[in-house]
Amino acid sequence: MKRSKRIETLDRRPVNKDGYINEWPEMGFVAMSSPYDPKPSIKVEQGVIVELDGKRREDFDFIDEFIADYAIRIDRTEKSMAVSSLDIARKIVDINVSRKEILEIVSGITPAKMVEVINYLNVVEMMMGMQKIRARRTPANQAHITNLKDDPVQIAADAAEGALRGFREEETTVGIARYAPFNAIALLIGSQAGRKGVLTQCAVEEATELELGIRGFTTYAETMSVYGTEKVFIDGDDTPYSKAFLNAAYASRGLKTRFTSGSGSEVLMGQAEKKSMLYLETRCLYVTKGAGSQGIQNGSVSCIGVTASVPSGIREVLGENLVAALLGLECASSNDQSFTNSDMRRTARTMLQFLPGTDFIFSGYAGEPNYDNLFAGSNFDAEDFDDYNVLQRDMQVDGGLKPVKEEDVIRVRYTAGKAVQAVFRYLGLSEITDEQVEAVTYAHGSKDTISRDVATDLVAVEDMMKRGITGVDIVKALAESGFEELAESILSMLKQRVVGDYMQTSAILDEEFKVMSGVNCPNDYMGPGTGYRVDGKRWEEIKAIPHIIDPNKF
Amino acid sequence: MKINEEIIERVTRLVIEEINAKGGVQGLSAGEQTTGNGRTVKTSYAGFPIAKQGTNPKEVVIGVGPAFQREINKTINGLSLEDVIKNVKAGVEEEGMVPRVVKVLKTSDVCFMGLEAAKLSGSGIGIGLQSKGTAVIHQKDLYPLSNLELFPQAPLMNLETYRAIGKNAAKYVKGEKVTPIEGQNDPMVRANYQVKAALMHIKETEQVDLSIPYIEWK
Repeated sequence: MKRSKRIETLDRRPVNKDGYINEWPEMGFVAMSSPYDPKPSIKVEQGVIVELDGKRREDFDFIDEFIADYAIRIDRTEKSMAVSSLDIARKIVDINVSRKEILEIVSGITPAKMVEVINYLNVVEMMMGMQKIRARRTPANQAHITNLKDDPVQIAADAAEGALRGFREEETTVGIARYAPFNAIALLIGSQAGRKGVLTQCAVEEATELELGIRGFTTYAETMSVYGTEKVFIDGDDTPYSKAFLNAAYASRGLKTRFTSGSGSEVLMGQAEKKSMLYLETRCLYVTKGAGSQGIQNGSVSCIGVTASVPSGIREVLGENLVAALLGLECASSNDQSFTNSDMRRTARTMLQFLPGTDFIFSGYAGEPNYDNLFAGSNFDAEDFDDYNVLQRDMQVDGGLKPVKEEDVIRVRYTAGKAVQAVFRYLGLSEITDEQVEAVTYAHGSKDTISRDVATDLVAVEDMMKRGITGVDIVKALAESGFEELAESILSMLKQRVVGDYMQTSAILDEEFKVMSGVNCPNDYMGPGTGYRVDGKRWEEIKAIPHIIDPNKF
Repeated sequence: MKINEEIIERVTRLVIEEINAKGGVQGLSAGEQTTGNGRTVKTSYAGFPIAKQGTNPKEVVIGVGPAFQREINKTINGLSLEDVIKNVKAGVEEEGMVPRVVKVLKTSDVCFMGLEAAKLSGSGIGIGLQSKGTAVIHQKDLYPLSNLELFPQAPLMNLETYRAIGKNAAKYVKGEKVTPIEGQNDPMVRANYQVKAALMHIKETEQVDLSIPYIEWK
């Protein structure tokens, strides 16, 4: 066939490099509704759910049983199930029906019913729902802070800059698993050097992550993964009960935690049991609620390449975020993983959470260039900071970030680098040279930094862990090295663990370390003239982008 | 990129052909389990000798996935699995250690595969290697989802990296101070490869056989 130049041009567009696949329910490649999804039903006998979504109790798998016993309000369920799914969907977008009223109804419905409700909503209605249902009044944002070299100095500097830019949570992970403790302490120190009150975590293997938390190297945890089919749970040597136990372990030490789930994971692991991605993810969210977690990171997350490959996949992603909010969970709404070669497509995907606002719009905006992002690339990265700030300004939307001045960026990056250098020196860890701090201060990414001796770092990490170093030792090291204010900030973060208020739903801290959560700052949106509006000081902040034309210069 | 699309199409077509050969999806009732449903013809390893616990302290066991060199013969970016395994083994040998390949049938998860290999290994060091090319260096006393070195982005792997994995695994056996292989990262890997990864992993998972945990492999 003689080729059309038009079609040839279109074929070369980035969007055509992405992977797409037709719906294939037998293998779980279906977004919102599979012919094999169960129909909603409930039967209660003597205060026990004996039938759930067409399955009798004796046929329950452990996920069904966990949901029936812990995630559905048995006293409300018969009344809630009597309300039609269409009516519930309409209430979600009706500005005259309060968040509280909807949450009460939803607390009694089953996963299959929830899926039915969400299927009635188009994306605009879902955004309307999210604007009203998210837990905290003000949206916020979370950053990924990583680099290809696992360089702790760069982590500290990027964390400081990220905090300065407005991120209220920062998450790191590792290329080399054994680096985790260094990454965690560098993130802890760097974040507070940028702006006080930022929460930090290190996403690694669960037992290691718990230990880092207990030692006070992190101030929250996020990577407790749950799955929608029993087989995937079992393959990971887990059950909903073991996750609930892990959650309790964190709670016993006063650490904020949230679970992680997301559509597509069961497909990717070949265990979707022919169900739709939304149905399986809804089961995850019920498990999360039943396990007593205050929140979830979801929205397909690392499996977005699968969900985005099927029709209505990106709609499904917002749908699952909304289910989380409807269950009263804090929702850190993904946007944290690259999934497309198309700038247009990636921006459109993020608008679904950016415009209504979620508790954390990104559960990892790459605070470094994407080549350094060890979550295999985020949907937005450090090179998009100005685009993002302009989007906030264009639409008068609070995306959780703000424009910054170059001199401030350099200052906080330098302070963070020097502070980590001092702590390493005080604790007798591997050396950080002045040249390294200097390089990192002015760097964009790890291509601009001086490589460290990895093998020596790993020996030092092992030694530090053996010596039983904790967060308190870091406070002491900072205080005795001339970083009193930073020491005070990290001590204040550790104190949160004793106070415990930041374990409430959707908590972040302000710069005075005061908690803002869904409890003391609840979302009160009920249509125009209500809820959170971008105005006052915050609007001035958003407006102040660089590169503004000065009329006096003409 | 064109080649990648062709791989998707080819894999999809093969899987669909197999479904049709089995009487099509309409033939399956709604309640039927999907796991191990025989969508691909499942290879039986009944009668194969179960892999032995190693005693040689110089040994590095390489645990390959259930579909390795049988249902799947090339990694996600087209490297022949024969070449891949040859390079891993060569890397181990270059450091004076002894490689042994086992096929892990009880799981298709790379970390659990690597841990099984490490436990079977006389030295306690093992390598997990999925058929799509994802690899891990594991040690028998680590948590399953922890590792010594992980290579999560299979599309970025080449034969030199596989050789280096063999070498580093051998160096861990010798108790040397090992510099981990420098990480690689392509932020577009998910957009370009995740659907393919899912299809290949489905194929691998279909070959999981809980009745025979692992067998000796070549």
